[in-house]
Amino acid sequence: MTTTDTTTTPKKPKPRHAVGTRRTLTAEELSAYGLRDRWYPILPSHLLANGAMQKVTRLGVDWLLFRDATGRVRMLEDRCPHRSAPLSAGQHLGDRVACRYHGVQVDGTGTVVAVPGMPGCALEGRQSTPSLAVVEAADAIFAFMPLTEDSEPTPFELPDRLQQEEHSHFLNYVEWAGQWRFYMDNVLDPMHGAFLHGDSHSMSGGDTSARFRIRETDRGFFFEKTDQRGKNFDWVEFVRGAMDHVDLEIPYGDEAGPGGPFGIVGMSVPIDADNVAVFHWRTRKVDGWEREVWRFLYRTSLEEKHFAVLEQDRSVLEILAKDADTHEHLYQHDLGVSRIRRLYKADAKAQAKILAGEA
Amino acid sequence: MSQYLEVHQTHPEPFSPYELKLSGSIQEIFGRGVHDLPGLVSGLNDLGLHAPDGSSWTQESFRDEMRRMGR
Ligand code: FES
Ligand SMILES: [Fe+2]
Repeated sequence: MTTTDTTTTPKKPKPRHAVGTRRTLTAEELSAYGLRDRWYPILPSHLLANGAMQKVTRLGVDWLLFRDATGRVRMLEDRCPHRSAPLSAGQHLGDRVACRYHGVQVDGTGTVVAVPGMPGCALEGRQSTPSLAVVEAADAIFAFMPLTEDSEPTPFELPDRLQQEEHSHFLNYVEWAGQWRFYMDNVLDPMHGAFLHGDSHSMSGGDTSARFRIRETDRGFFFEKTDQRGKNFDWVEFVRGAMDHVDLEIPYGDEAGPGGPFGIVGMSVPIDADNVAVFHWRTRKVDGWEREVWRFLYRTSLEEKHFAVLEQDRSVLEILAKDADTHEHLYQHDLGVSRIRRLYKADAKAQAKILAGEA
Repeated sequence: MSQYLEVHQTHPEPFSPYELKLSGSIQEIFGRGVHDLPGLVSGLNDLGLHAPDGSSWTQESFRDEMRRMGR
């Protein structure tokens, strides 16, 4: 033994709080409430009118959305910096919100701009409420959900089909009483199409048995049938871009007209550990009169049929046991499911390390 | 928690009987595998469906109507 060296005593790691919480989160909590440091869709644009405020819960945190006088969307933690009353109970004052409790005014950047009860108070000018980076695109409000207050938003980029002119799209938004991870498992499991959706308007075709493979890409992976394409829900691409999303195609019957299959860009955002908000953009590569007819048929008829299919998913996902993803017996069709779980588990571990001050 | 589960998100207002009839007829013709514009227009006329002004459909009148309703 040599002499003790006091200079090598490791500094105790300083745990950090996840933005919008006053505590650090474990890997289990992160994977229950949602992973951070990525963009998420938050709400369809049309659900936040001009001059309106809306409270939403996302990733287990309450947030206030409001549109300022210029139409710009702001997203603040729904918590007054004074004594934590929900800002959503207050008043919209154009570019700011006044708390209902003692009138403290907070602007869109989360800065206290006035303390009416005590003008000149040191709280004035302080940026003390978390405010998220927000982008409005493809009929939805998106926000970057930071892990810590040092997190820098990554560049915002829409999925391919939503930014390419040749694809026309409609957004569908729903809220399900199920875990967000079950949503991800479900979309990485194309085989349920032939069974759960077997009697739907779009997924009655094709075989009820199949072999699958995983095909790597530089931005994620494909999980696809090796022996059938274009007949049912036959493949899905998981994309890890600015925001995690899935891309897939489902055939339309002849009655839906020209233009081939419809595409789905799917994303979900955890509401809390037991509820999820789901965004599906239904897309079609159509132009000219074909585009107009598809959009007319979508509104008058297809939207309702698509909704019925989505309800089939909900009917199963909402009755799964909370611990449904433990002690399963997975088979070859579940390679996509295991893959996505592994990916998210690794993310949760890495983010928990950062919060624990160990990375 | 109250859940958002709206069926008609792209068109909350009800459609008129005329719009629904037109939509159903278009799908019926497409369902026969007819996917070109002239075929669609003559199919509508064969079904006895009239354009909004009471006359037979032409490609122009059909496109005008779709531009309006299929934005
Ligand atoms: S709690 Fe908001 S002003 Fe006091
Ligand atoms: Fe499904």
